[in-house]
Amino acid sequence: MTGTVFNIQPYSLHDGPGIRTVVFLKGCPMRCEWCANPESQSISPQVWFDREKCISGKGCSFCAKLTDISRFDPAAFDGETKSFESICPCGALGVYGREMTVGEIIDRVEAESVFYGEDGGLTLSGGEPFMQGEFAIELLREAKRRHINTAAETCGQCSKEVLRRAAGLLDHIMFDIKLIDEERHRRYTGCSNRQILDNLEMLFAEFPKLRKRIRTPVIPTVNDNEEDIRAIAGLLSGRENYSYELLPYHRFGVGKYRLLGREYAAIPDKLDSELFEKLKQLTL
Amino acid sequence: MPITEKKVLSPQEERIKNSHAPSDKRAGRLLAGFQGTRPVIDIERGRYFTESFKKTEGQPLVLRWAKALYHYAENASVYIDDGQLIAGRAGREGRYGILYPELDGDFLDEMIKSLPERDSSPFDITDEDAQYIISEISPYWKGKTFHEALAAAIPEETRRYTYNNDAELSSRFIVNETASFRSSIQWVHDYEKPLRIGFNGIRREALDKLAALDEFSPIDNTERRPFLEAVIITADAIILWADRHAELAEKKAAEERDEKRRAELTELARICRKVPAEPADSFYEAVQSQWFIQLFSRIEQKTGTIISNGRMDQYLYPYYKADKEKGLIDEDRAEELLECVWVSMAQYIDLYLSKAGGAFNEGYAHWEAVTIGGQTPDGRDAVNELTYILLRSKREFPLNYPDLAARVHQRSPKRYLYEVAETIKDGSGFPKLINDEEVIPLLLAKGAQFEEAYDYSVSGCAECRMPNRDTFTSPCAYINFAAALEMTIYNGRMLKYGSEVIGLRTGEAESFESFDEFLAAYLRQQKNFMKHAFIQQHEIIRLRAEHFASPLGSSLHRLCMEQQKDIHSPKIEGGIDLGYFEFIGYGTVVDSLAAIKKLVFEDKRITFAELKKAMENDFEGYEPIRQLLQSAPAYGNNDGYADEIGRLLDRELLEFTKKYSKELEVHLDLRYVPFTSNVPFGKVVSATPNGRHAYKPLSDGSSASQGADRNGPTAVLLSNYATKNYDHRDRAARLLNIKLSPQCVSGEEGTEKLVDFIRAWRDLRLWHLQFNVINRETLIKAQQDPDSYRSLLVRVAGYSAYFCELSKDLQDDIISRTEHTAV
Repeated sequence: MTGTVFNIQPYSLHDGPGIRTVVFLKGCPMRCEWCANPESQSISPQVWFDREKCISGKGCSFCAKLTDISRFDPAAFDGETKSFESICPCGALGVYGREMTVGEIIDRVEAESVFYGEDGGLTLSGGEPFMQGEFAIELLREAKRRHINTAAETCGQCSKEVLRRAAGLLDHIMFDIKLIDEERHRRYTGCSNRQILDNLEMLFAEFPKLRKRIRTPVIPTVNDNEEDIRAIAGLLSGRENYSYELLPYHRFGVGKYRLLGREYAAIPDKLDSELFEKLKQLTL
Repeated sequence: MPITEKKVLSPQEERIKNSHAPSDKRAGRLLAGFQGTRPVIDIERGRYFTESFKKTEGQPLVLRWAKALYHYAENASVYIDDGQLIAGRAGREGRYGILYPELDGDFLDEMIKSLPERDSSPFDITDEDAQYIISEISPYWKGKTFHEALAAAIPEETRRYTYNNDAELSSRFIVNETASFRSSIQWVHDYEKPLRIGFNGIRREALDKLAALDEFSPIDNTERRPFLEAVIITADAIILWADRHAELAEKKAAEERDEKRRAELTELARICRKVPAEPADSFYEAVQSQWFIQLFSRIEQKTGTIISNGRMDQYLYPYYKADKEKGLIDEDRAEELLECVWVSMAQYIDLYLSKAGGAFNEGYAHWEAVTIGGQTPDGRDAVNELTYILLRSKREFPLNYPDLAARVHQRSPKRYLYEVAETIKDGSGFPKLINDEEVIPLLLAKGAQFEEAYDYSVSGCAECRMPNRDTFTSPCAYINFAAALEMTIYNGRMLKYGSEVIGLRTGEAESFESFDEFLAAYLRQQKNFMKHAFIQQHEIIRLRAEHFASPLGSSLHRLCMEQQKDIHSPKIEGGIDLGYFEFIGYGTVVDSLAAIKKLVFEDKRITFAELKKAMENDFEGYEPIRQLLQSAPAYGNNDGYADEIGRLLDRELLEFTKKYSKELEVHLDLRYVPFTSNVPFGKVVSATPNGRHAYKPLSDGSSASQGADRNGPTAVLLSNYATKNYDHRDRAARLLNIKLSPQCVSGEEGTEKLVDFIRAWRDLRLWHLQFNVINRETLIKAQQDPDSYRSLLVRVAGYSAYFCELSKDLQDDIISRTEHTAV
């Protein structure tokens, strides 16, 4: 079975317990304005181009047979992507997303297993990993078969049945909640949050032993206020076997919008660090 | 910038913030007295050795050496620094270097004469001293140094790979000998013995053996007798020297007005009267005795990277434990005494006047390693309270000296691993780690007993020694295999040396029809380099005993005392002779071969002619080709394509040494430890097929080429693992440096993950590991030179990125956030 992966990152330290290898699956149903991984949104492979690194001006012409690079616009490109994968030696032109089999991926994950210790292992991330639901489940099943610890990061916007089957194969889950207010959730992410909250209820109800880490990215003007954070903390309060964490807004993804020929929907203000510290107090 | 994660402070910064700065401590005040001062050359060691040698011509060498030591002990200035609890220096106040004219006397005068012309001379010397060297020291040694004898002895053809054809016989940095700028390979004494029996005990041992000699035996008369006499004279010398320190301490005490200091000096005088002549009876006495011994060893000879300290947490522990039980000492006091030794070490500069020697150890770095942890001779975990005090001292007193080496094994306690990780996190990169699970089986395979192998000490940079079993002191060849690659490309020539054919004529590169043909040609050049390295080594082993003796070192060695033979003798019965040869430029060569295989022969994206043209022009006007070369599979990424080539090169060298080191009657093992020599070796190699520019540094140790490791630190370890040939025993250290950002290791969770990483390294049976927890300067360098730092990973607030791929303003932001973690 194959799926589309846009990165496999060994030695990941902040994506679950221990040292982990994160497998990033392509595709996400949400369109958050602040998204730090714009290359993860579309489920298909996408060509990217970094004009700053291109040295066609210095006589480089390795890609000339594919395109006129001086006029290339990745956003407008919709042709075959495969031949773009390894044509450019300069790191200026490439493809986000590659078809891989379950075996290929888990072999790479297993190759790192000496580093996993007692807690580390595989983390599925995305995009939304459960958008490629059957593939994600197969990856988890294969990992479990090889006794590799499993975790997943999800935005919660996925089929309940897929999530239920995946949860049975998971040791940890990291589940994001952005807002409780449905109207604003729809405005900022393009989706209602009903499915998300429903899925969360299902996890708490049916998988009491699954270790859950609930996370909220704190985004300026979106949810960087006491009321929203209190609402999420309130929803969680009294439940068992979970931890709640706030993630500070960052702009590391901005450059990738440029590579895809897209504009970054400016999040106007930077996050106030004092405010962030104060909000963190609410989650304790 | 919109990052609100709290600044990560290292424990050291926390201390500064809370104003427990190191300067509050005694050692901090001592350090402040010399930090930043220019080192001076102290000529006394050179002077008294030369004076003595002039008077002892014709006598057995070991005896001459002992007499020179005695002459030094009798006449050299002795020092006790203000505020110091430990007596003894080998040169004047401040940072100092000393002279070893037996090594470089033949060109010492030229070096001294040229000092004023150097742009930035790293040391000062008085006019009077300079004149003394030129008129009294240097002339005596001309025609007598090992350096000259070796150059004359090695065959013409081998010389071509070894020296430039100049008056000074400067190194050619191709097949480089390192035997002529130090008297011994890195070394460790058995310190336990002199602490236990004192030099009076060693003296008695020598006297007994002298009495037992066969008066009719020619060997006993011509070899054993002078050896034993030399041991006695050396014991007398060190005792005399310590006594002179006692006198000075008494004199200073008499003049001292401060009551507290007067008491300190009186106690110091008592101790110097007692040790190292007599056994130590307290921790303080043991520390002072050890310092006298290692300092006198520095005076005796120039040991590569300086004489190491051995397993301090083992041989000092009984003294600590006894004092502690009696209520005479606590952790703070033990730490204070050790730190008094550390600041003394830091003032000694490993001075190299020859260009080659200096280039090998840039910045006069030295590694008088202190070993901690590991196993006891009976194979149990060896960690004790003193282990933790040594770690604490490294955390709380951030000084580069001594180098701290932590042995790790399968049963190392959790607390030990966590404290080691905490110490690494403090930012200075100490301790380095040495893996019992790799080292011990190799020592056993080479003939060690279990109790000897379990009890090894780390020596210098990454070597491991069994102080009473190791008997091979010859420094060994550093081989520039990137030059062999260049000779394969240019049919025996190197661009730096124009039309001169140095290596084998293996054919014009354009004529190779397959990668296998090219590889076979490279392997012939590689093997040819090995041939010349082994020819050099043969002559080095043969000649050294005529030039070097070490009565002090030999008196501390069980086998030397049993056989009454100097440690520099070509053969000592029952010894294990562990030498090595060095692979310089491993990543450079492997990546170059992988690039040629992939791009020229497999994918046919460029022709060999195009590649050569680009390299001949140092890629000027050929940037696309350079970029293409850099995109080829590279060592350090856990990529089988490159790693298989790496394993093959490693294996070929192991096969060679397996066959020919027998003829030298030693183990010459394959090692990957460059010090800083990958820089000067790079200066003779033109542009390489991995996209490296001409005359830039080669790759370092067993690390990936600069910036070629794009898959993070786990891949670097896995590539190392994949390229080793575990079925061969003829291998020694692989040096491995890993860069981490402070964020990678911050907090309790960061410590846990660092411990997981260390355990993985241990389980992969890699030899050595050192972390650089990067600081602000590194990040600024990465910003200016992204090519060399492409692999630098920074992790912040749940997100990770390669630093060089971030925009300038984000980089600036990260720099501003890391500046406080700078050491």
